[in-house]
This record gives sequence, C-alpha cells and structure tokens, in this order.
Amino acid sequence: MGEVLLEQLINGLMMGSVYVLVALGMVLIYGVMHVVNFAHGVLFTLGGYLGYFFYHRVFDSYPLAIVLAVLSLAVIGVLLERGVFRPLTGNLRNQVIASLGLILFLENLVVALWGPNALQWKVATTEHWVQLGELRFSLHHLGIIVVTLLLVTALGLFLKYTRFGTAIRATSQSQEAAIVVGIPVRTVQWSSFALGCMLAGVGGALVGPLFLVFPQMGDVPLIKGLAGILLGGMGSVPGAVIGGMILGVTESVSTLFLPTDYRDSIAFMMMVAILLLRPQGLFGQRMRGED
Amino acid sequence: MGRSLLWVLGLLVLAALLSAPSWTAEQPYVLHMLVLMCIFAIPAVGLNLMLGYSGLVSLGHMGFAGLGAYTAAVLMVDARWSFWSALGAATIASGLAGVCIGLICFRFRGHFFMIVTLAFGLLLHAVMNNWDEVTRGAAGFAGIPRPRPLQWGDEVISFGPLPHFYYLALGLALLAFAVQYLVVRSDLGRILSAIRQDERLARSRGVDVLLYKTVVFALGSALAGVGGVLQVSFLRVAAPASFNMLESINTVLIVIVGGAGSLMGPALGALLYVGLPEWLRLANEWRLVIFGGLLVLITLFAPAGLAGLLSSLWRRLSPPRGGSS
Repeated sequence: MGEVLLEQLINGLMMGSVYVLVALGMVLIYGVMHVVNFAHGVLFTLGGYLGYFFYHRVFDSYPLAIVLAVLSLAVIGVLLERGVFRPLTGNLRNQVIASLGLILFLENLVVALWGPNALQWKVATTEHWVQLGELRFSLHHLGIIVVTLLLVTALGLFLKYTRFGTAIRATSQSQEAAIVVGIPVRTVQWSSFALGCMLAGVGGALVGPLFLVFPQMGDVPLIKGLAGILLGGMGSVPGAVIGGMILGVTESVSTLFLPTDYRDSIAFMMMVAILLLRPQGLFGQRMRGED
Repeated sequence: MGRSLLWVLGLLVLAALLSAPSWTAEQPYVLHMLVLMCIFAIPAVGLNLMLGYSGLVSLGHMGFAGLGAYTAAVLMVDARWSFWSALGAATIASGLAGVCIGLICFRFRGHFFMIVTLAFGLLLHAVMNNWDEVTRGAAGFAGIPRPRPLQWGDEVISFGPLPHFYYLALGLALLAFAVQYLVVRSDLGRILSAIRQDERLARSRGVDVLLYKTVVFALGSALAGVGGVLQVSFLRVAAPASFNMLESINTVLIVIVGGAGSLMGPALGALLYVGLPEWLRLANEWRLVIFGGLLVLITLFAPAGLAGLLSSLWRRLSPPRGGSS
C-alpha cells in the first residue's frame, strides 16, 4: 500500500504540474485582460504538435524542440491577442464565443494537418527509469515536475522583483490606476497573453512524449486548469499553483479508492462545490468578472 | 409593402419545406440533410432563447439534449414506452434538470456562469459515458426505435420511411420556432430582453430576475431535450459523443452564426452548418476549421450574425418609406 500510494503521489505531482502550467497561463491572461481564454486547451495541443514537428522534422533534440514550440506559441499568442481578443475588449460574451471559435478552428486545423490519429513521440527520457527504493518512475515524470517547479519559481521572481512583473501585477489590480501611473497597459496585455500561451505550449510539449500527441489532448488540461484556478481563486497566481497541484494529487490518489472512469469527474464536482461554498477560492480576495 | 413581401417569402419557404419529399424524390440525400437541419435547429432555438434573448451563455447545452435523449432511450427500450410518451417524459426531464442546474448556475454571473454551465455539461457527459448499466457507456445505446406507426381511422402513418420521419422532424422544428415566437413576442420575451440589457435595472423595477432566468433555462433545456430525442430516434443509436463539449460549442456556433436574438437565426445557422460543407464539397476535417474561423470572424465583424447581415441587406434594397427617412 505504501509504495502504491507514493507512486500515485508522484503521478499526481506530475499531472498537477501540467495543470499548473495551463492554469498559470489562464490566470495571467485573466488578470490583465479580464477574459477567461477557453482556447487555452488547444494552445496546449499546439505545443504538443509543434514540439513533435520540430523534433521529428527539424532538430533531433528534445529541449530544442520545446524551445522552438514555445517560441512559435509566443508568436501565435501575440497574433491572437492583436487579432481577436483586443478588438473585442469590453465584450465578454463575444470574447468567450470567439475563443470557442478558436477551439474549433485550431483543433480541427490540427486534424486536417496531422490527421485524427494519435501520434507517438518517442523521447529517451520516457524510457529511463528512476529507482528509489521500491519506487520506480520514469525520468520524464521527474523532468516535468522539475521543469514546472523551475518555471513557477522564475515566474514568481519575475512578477515580484522586476519592473515589468510589477507592471503586470499593477495592471491586474486596476487597469485604470495602471494607466494613470504611466504603465503601458497594452504592452503588458499582449506580452502577458503571449507568456500565457508559452506556458500552455511548455505543458503540451512536456506531456506529448509521455502520453500521445492527439487533437483532443488539450481538452482535459483546459478543464483541469479551470478547476485549479477556481480552487485557488480567480486571478491569484499562487492560488493557481496550489489549486492545480491539489487537483492533480487528489485525482491520482483517488484512483486507489474510486473507479478510474470517474477520475475526471472529480474536477467538475470540485469546481461546482468550490463555487457554491467558497466562490472566491482558497486564496482569492474578491470575486471579479461579476457583471 | 416590404412586410408583405417578407410574408410571401416566408410562405414560399414553408411551402417548399412541406413539399420537400416530392421535389427531393430523386435525391433522398437532400431530405436526409433537411432532417439533420431540424435536429440541429431545435436545440439551437433553445439556446437562442437563453443566449440570444436573455444573455445567458450556456456552454453545456448539449448535455441537456443528451439527458433527454437517454431518458427517452431507456423508456422506449427498457420500459417499452411509446415514442410519444417517452418524448413527453424526456422533455419534462430535461426541463426539470434545467430548473435544478439553472438554480445552481444563477448564483454566478459572467465568466463564472459560463464555467459552471461548462462543468455541468461535462458532468452530464461523464454520466452518459460511464454509467454502463443504464446508458450502455461509451459504446453507445443501440436499438432505439423509430416512432411506432400511428393509426388514424383506416389511415396508417408509419415513421420508418424517410419522408414520414421528415414530417415528424419538420413538425417538431416548426413547433420549436412557434414556441420561440410566442415567447419572444410576449411579456416574457420583453422581460427577458430587459434582463439581458441591464439585470440590475430590471431588478430595481421589480422584475423577479431569478424566476424568469429559471423559466428560460428550463425552456431552453427542454427544447434541447426534444432535439436529443429526435436525434437518437433518427440515428437509432444514442452515443455520448453526440452530447459532449464540442457539440455544445457547435450549438453556440449555429446560434451565433445564424444570428443570436433573431427569430430565424437558428434556422439560418443550421442551414449553413449542414448545407455549406455539402455545397462546397468539403472534406470533413476542413468543415469545422472553416466554421471555427467563421465564428471568430462573425464575432469580430458581424455580431448580429447571418440574420443581421440579411436584414441590413434587406433594408438597403427595399425602397425608402414615405417622404421622411
């Protein structure tokens, strides 16, 4: 029982890391633009496919493939912010509907370009096993957890100690006040959007080799990322990290007691329960987007 | 003059729809597509009442269609109910689910409302997918019958042949549009529109906002249920994949592209959704790429949808009224 529990714990931390990457991006975008990007899941998918493409077609190096995929997503993010979300500023309904359109567009573009079947992306780290006493897991699991940890730390330091990070935090707190003190809010908005897209891309490129690369691979991370944000508190960066982790670990450990078919439903029920009982989430201060 | 022309046009379309089995006798495939349009249009009418007229963006709409569809499937196959009583029961069931789930969702506004409706849609889909004993799980619920033949004196109407099923689908679709018309043109419609425009103002004028939102959510969900029952009876199988998140997004697409808050919007949306890929002879994988792009473009450049574009075209073409403009 002990090893099984530990094994699920490692699994949970790995899945939680993936949820955290998605949730962080959505929180950043929500903070500066007040829009929930429902298309964040397909950006995750794009990260997986672009990573696969760069790995197999361009360079045979996994880290380089991730970097290229993430840079492409930054470009896509800027284009989406400029072309779709910026013109619809102030119209929540149309922003959400446009993001639904983006889901259909991008997910099916992937199907049209790469076919509907799952692709296998073989990377050496999934074959290396780490042995810790009785416990055995792949190096890739460890890699995902470590990379996420590093990214979260870097993002935290960036937001707290750099000028631009401070500008992002100020814009999230109050856009009007940020404009008044001379913060270039538009620059903050497009760069945060791109940053959020990059984080989703990292997630997709990290998960791709472990599971498979397929057109719907971003659907579940989107929902789990949303659940993590709600759990942690809408707009709270530490909340997104802790919420995503709690969700990942709870899900994995629950498979010891519950049939695995219902593992995904835990997130839905958690979302509804947290909204009913504590709508501001565990770490949120106030409820925004309420109008 | 413009108005009477519109009536003539409407009657012509209605006549064409009613006589469809005779002018499509050579190509039964056209009739098949018309049935599909009805199947897509009915839930879209429900969503149009919620999203278009009342401003309630529900992202789990097809979950309710699935609830109705599976209720009817279980009643018809396991309990041997007739199609008509199963249809009635399924409509009531999805309407009641709309009341219960709506009451939870209405505690939230804006983003939170959308996220909760999304979560409930996913939850309903998870139940259809996983509750193997009742819903037959992911493999789908096969063996759903078409409605039994109706006996009318000596006349026997069976719904097996496509033209007969078409009349059933058309009848239900016309009923849905009639309900939509009656709601929109009644006091209820005006109240819903007031809530959409400014909920706080409506409340301060004494409107029981929660009550009317619940009513429209129940009505919309019930219509989704009708669409679901019609779909599974037509396909003779209920599959959880017909009621997942992407299908809910497709329904939003039909409403928005057709024209949210327009009486004919869902019909135009369904026509385009089913007809355009056939007309362009598109490969299936490009179909939703185009529609996804179209949805983005419509929100950016023509928020009133196809119906809005048509009516502004109509206004430009029709001669100016009287002396004053």
